[in-house]
Amino acid sequence: MAREAGLISLFLLALVLRAQALTPSHHLSSADVTRLKAFLNQPLEDLESAYYTIVGLSKLGARVSDEKAACQFLKSHHDPTSIDSLFFAAEASQALSDCEIPVSNETRDLLLAVVSEDSSVSQIHHAVGALGSLGLPLASQEVVSALAARITKEDNVMAIIVALQTASRLSQQADLSRILEEIEDLAARLDDLGGVYLQFEEGLEATALFVTAAYGLSDHVGMEPPLKEDQVVQLVNSVFSKKAWTSLAEAFSIASAAAALSDNRFHIPVIVGTQGPATVSHRQPTLKIQVTNVLSRPLPSASVVVESARSVSSKNVVLKQASFTLREEVFELNFLDSKPASGYYDFAVAVAGDARFVGSSVELKVKVSTEVGITNVDLSIVDKDQSIGPKSTKVEYPSKANGPLIADSHQNLALSFQLVDENTGVELTPHQTFVRLYNQKTDQEVVFVAEPDSKNVYRFELDTAERKSEFNSMSGTYALHLIIGDATLENPILWNIADIVLKFPDEDAPSVVQSKNLYVAKPEIQHLFREPEKKPATVVSNAFTALVLAPFLLLIILWYKLGANISNFSITPSALLFHLGHAAMLGLMYVYWTHLNMFQTLKYLAIVGSLTFLAGNRMLAQKAVKRIGSQ
Amino acid sequence: MSNSVLSVISRFLSEYSSSTPSKLKLVDAYLLYILLTGAMQFLYCLLVGTFPFNSFLSGFISCVGCFILAVCLRIQPRPLHRF
Repeated sequence: MAREAGLISLFLLALVLRAQALTPSHHLSSADVTRLKAFLNQPLEDLESAYYTIVGLSKLGARVSDEKAACQFLKSHHDPTSIDSLFFAAEASQALSDCEIPVSNETRDLLLAVVSEDSSVSQIHHAVGALGSLGLPLASQEVVSALAARITKEDNVMAIIVALQTASRLSQQADLSRILEEIEDLAARLDDLGGVYLQFEEGLEATALFVTAAYGLSDHVGMEPPLKEDQVVQLVNSVFSKKAWTSLAEAFSIASAAAALSDNRFHIPVIVGTQGPATVSHRQPTLKIQVTNVLSRPLPSASVVVESARSVSSKNVVLKQASFTLREEVFELNFLDSKPASGYYDFAVAVAGDARFVGSSVELKVKVSTEVGITNVDLSIVDKDQSIGPKSTKVEYPSKANGPLIADSHQNLALSFQLVDENTGVELTPHQTFVRLYNQKTDQEVVFVAEPDSKNVYRFELDTAERKSEFNSMSGTYALHLIIGDATLENPILWNIADIVLKFPDEDAPSVVQSKNLYVAKPEIQHLFREPEKKPATVVSNAFTALVLAPFLLLIILWYKLGANISNFSITPSALLFHLGHAAMLGLMYVYWTHLNMFQTLKYLAIVGSLTFLAGNRMLAQKAVKRIGSQ
Repeated sequence: MSNSVLSVISRFLSEYSSSTPSKLKLVDAYLLYILLTGAMQFLYCLLVGTFPFNSFLSGFISCVGCFILAVCLRIQPRPLHRF
């Protein structure tokens, strides 16, 4: 019982996860592949770029333009004493048809000597690659142990990727499990960006090379790489997000990754897209879908099934489990056979046919568009007090009513119509149903909205007296237009139904209507500067200045009367200096008020003040001495 | 009532002029001067207004400061002839 419950919950969980599966948002379109090939096909300048060009193009299934010249280039430029040079030449020659690099015993010994713990991982990789491409034997187990020792020393991402690439060149009998574990460790080091991208912080080239190496080694060993479906899709998004490649090495890594992802034993990312816009109408009833791999090549074993097509507005499922028919590499489905109403539909599409497909459940939004027809158009002038019966005119689209209809302030204009889908006869409620009245003489335009009632009949009423402000009370002939529009309509309508003569009651509006022109210069704003504060009259200020200074006079008089004198003034230098310094400080105060700022004042004050202080101290000491002496 | 106030004031003035040493009177004259200056400024502020407020503050507060310093000198309890 518990086991069944567990299975059911697992099944439900799988359904939920499936519904939220990630789909690739980037891939190489055919134009991108052509551009990549053109970018790789650069003239051969040095051995490394020749390697990228030749091997990169071969991964994309293309060939260098002149193979013989390329082979000659490799033979002449390779240096038998350099490991890297031998690697590039050997690998490139393998990609060319009928190109052999001559090998001597010294070369072979040199390459074999590199395979040890003392060389770097990239050296070992180049040596193993060269040995393999030149058809020379090598001891795989030695290589494995050397690699394992080097990985522990060189722990960076690029070194481990190179180790993976090396391991995929070794014999299958060797024990590659130690190297194989590194794929999982490296995958853990990838950065997840927003749940959409997965890449190394070392960059795109590293990510692309990781993809190539991981799938290369997994295919070689026959074990599925430990990457989840979502991770594979995220890697696809990252690697193919950049469409302008900066260097040959980067382009080569992208080409290798694309080749690895389009043809390996475990995971094939599937790209599903519609051919043209995802719109279905009576003129074009088939929905066309293309299913390709990341290199935009069609997948021969694929079969496409729409699991459910649900209307966005009504949430009804219109179609279930219908399969597409394959015609010339395009999958087609005639959606109109299920008689859908016009609107938007969510399609859940699944691609089957190969257990390796990744990102095979896709959600598409499909629009079903139709044509609209107007029926039962009734235009009438109704009297407000209903004493006279309404004069109604029936108009057929697209003709116009005969003669202008006259409505004055005692009458209402009423318009009613129905909108039907021409193909199915269902009543429609489009987004835009406007009634426009346009006065040609004054270039005035007033637009109203017609609303549907409960039976989906559109009604519009114009009360001339009530609405006169919108018309600026301009009487005259107005052309009545009906505007119908919607995203799902193939034939939007602009129909001049009739001419209406409107008579407004009071002609108090100006004869010339100033069009509410928004783009005319506005009146200039005069800037009001801040008014200076009101000062009191000069007389008052002068009077009070005199009043404030008057007590000084009083002081002088009082002191004179009291007999104050300076007869006891000992003319010593310190006394003089003190008084001068004091006067200078008062003068400095005045100068501060008029000229200086605080910092300058403090500077001068420090000088003058210290002098004054010292002089004053000395003077007082002298006075004290004199006083004590006289006692 | 005013009679007694007037007599008190005149008594005080005569006592003051006779018993205060002249040096103290000098300081008192200075104090009076400062007081009047400050009072004039305050009067202006009351009558005409506080514009410019900075000037009023600086003038009034400097008067108050000088007054306080002079009062500190005056209240020193020194023997009168020693100054």
